[in-house]
Amino acid sequence: MSENSVNGLSRFAMEAAVALLTGAFGIAVAYGSIEADAGWTDMGPGAGYFPFYIGLLITFGSAANLVYAFVKHRGTGEIFVDMARFKVVLGFLLPLVAFAAVSTVLGLYVGTTLYIAGTMIFQSKYKWWAGLATGIGVALFFFVIFEIGFKVPLLKGPVEAFFGIY
Amino acid sequence: MENIGLLMEGFGHILSFNHILLMMLGVTLGILVGVLPGLGAPNGVSLLLPLTFSMDPISAIILLSCMYWGALFGGSTTSILFNIPGEPSSVATTFDGYPLARKGEASRALTLAFVSAGLGALAGVVMITLLSGWVANFALRFSSPEYFAVYFLAFASFISMGAQSPFKTLVSMMVGFALASVGMDTISGNLRLTFDIPELIKGVSFLVAVMGLFGIGELLLTAEEGLRFDGIKARVRLSEIGRTLIEMPRYWFTIGRSMLIGIWMGITPAGPTAASFMSYGVARRSARDKSQFGKGDPRGIVAPETADHSAGTSALLPMLALGVPGSATAAVMMGGLMIWGLTPGPTLFTDRPDFVWGLIASMYLGNIVAVILVIATVPLYASILRIPFAIIGPVIVAVIFSGAYQVGNAVSDMWLVLVFGLLGYVFKKLDYPLAPLVLAMVLGDKAEDAFRQSMLLSNGKLSVFWSNGLVTTLMLVGLALLLSPLVFWLLGISRRRRLGVPKPPQDGTPAA
Repeated sequence: MSENSVNGLSRFAMEAAVALLTGAFGIAVAYGSIEADAGWTDMGPGAGYFPFYIGLLITFGSAANLVYAFVKHRGTGEIFVDMARFKVVLGFLLPLVAFAAVSTVLGLYVGTTLYIAGTMIFQSKYKWWAGLATGIGVALFFFVIFEIGFKVPLLKGPVEAFFGIY
Repeated sequence: MENIGLLMEGFGHILSFNHILLMMLGVTLGILVGVLPGLGAPNGVSLLLPLTFSMDPISAIILLSCMYWGALFGGSTTSILFNIPGEPSSVATTFDGYPLARKGEASRALTLAFVSAGLGALAGVVMITLLSGWVANFALRFSSPEYFAVYFLAFASFISMGAQSPFKTLVSMMVGFALASVGMDTISGNLRLTFDIPELIKGVSFLVAVMGLFGIGELLLTAEEGLRFDGIKARVRLSEIGRTLIEMPRYWFTIGRSMLIGIWMGITPAGPTAASFMSYGVARRSARDKSQFGKGDPRGIVAPETADHSAGTSALLPMLALGVPGSATAAVMMGGLMIWGLTPGPTLFTDRPDFVWGLIASMYLGNIVAVILVIATVPLYASILRIPFAIIGPVIVAVIFSGAYQVGNAVSDMWLVLVFGLLGYVFKKLDYPLAPLVLAMVLGDKAEDAFRQSMLLSNGKLSVFWSNGLVTTLMLVGLALLLSPLVFWLLGISRRRRLGVPKPPQDGTPAA
């Protein structure tokens, strides 16, 4: 399709995709509400009564947005994000996913250290010791603020267990 | 004056060394989140909220509300010095603030902004002091149908007043409602919308949503734009502050008008952003000499700043008195109140007067503390912004992930915040408004309870929403607001037809 121009993702495609996505979400909500009893019970409206109509409204609004996307944005050549910028965004986003994955396994302190050190060293070309020092510094700062200051624990993993920190 | 007496008692509750220290901490953190990209007021308050779970409610609300004031001030600082609005509500301040600062009058621009912001906030607090008791008394007459009507009115006004497409507002809002209803149903205790995923049983926290939508989403946008700070060296000179203070009374009319605009927009859910734009627009339109606007006219700073802050403070009135927050940040704070075991709304005034009046008293003090602190720390924050985004960005990300985890000590929330971040990025780029989503997430359960209790009262007949004068009026105003975009659209079509102007071509280029 000519909608996807060479230098980026078209706004129309994105508008339509989001409208379809929210529409699907609306249908899922309505369906889930029927499962949870969208009718009338002894205690008044059932658990799914209110969300059912919410789901319908989402679907209705999404349909309107889809129509609007066709009327307003098709063939305008508007760009949602061009390829060069999209790479920058991905460069920011992918480390985030890695951060979440590492933290899930190793805990947030180790995750934070590795993430900050990693982005600084590999993306921003800082010296390895500068990145590592910043990462460890931030993690230690978190520890002091959260565990000691506010007494709100963060997720810890096997590394902390190895050193006996709980 | 009964309220003044209560206010004095409120001061009695909060005047302690600890509380003043908390205020300063709150304001400092607030300025920090206001200055840093990707961390705004709603986000900062969300991040701080889990840390207050173990505090007593008065200390907690002082910390959070002061963070709110600080964030409002911090947003103006970056607008003026860097031409980067730290908050959406300080966009209008960049129009004249940055040009004035570039002329070498940074101290003057900052002082104008901070002092008028402080005055605006003060106007909001005075209004709350005078009106809150009265509104709460009035609201005591409300029962479930009236409450549902108030929620309906609040959400209808979003659809009518939003700058975005009404259907996008509708979708965003309803997605918020749907997310709020995930998990355990508060009335029947049944699980719903969990789709057999164990992580969803505890529901989707609005705090995680705010952190993702406003935090990660904003950072992704910032990364895309390739943030470059082009800052102005700010050295705050005392003599210049003094001269500007003497200059202030000249703008009394602009300030007064902006206060009124701000208070009105703050009480109604239009919020600070709309208030600051509107106030700027009015100031510009009514000025006799418009030539300096956009080039550093002092009125162009005073007007949006006053309105922004008076709206920001006024947004707490409906939250306290009715349980309907007037801005995204107020919504987050209201969620906090509920977590601390307080019920926002008129009963709060009778059940916990110490809390309500302590909060109101702290607003007076907090804003004064904020004005002083923000003037004193401008060079410090300006230097923070000189740290490259390559370092600051990841640190903010780490703060947000930690905050998301702390909401419910759940690993799944770290992934959820990421999903919300993507959603926030896409929604923002496609002009879906985010504030209605957050408001709906916070209010969802309450609106639903009100609806279901009304249905119980009436045995399932919708006529309960037309059963007396009060609820009928509220519903009619709500319906009128809801239908207003349609009416304007139809009017536009009929006018075009009458004047014989051809329909605008379908390719989106506006008809000349």
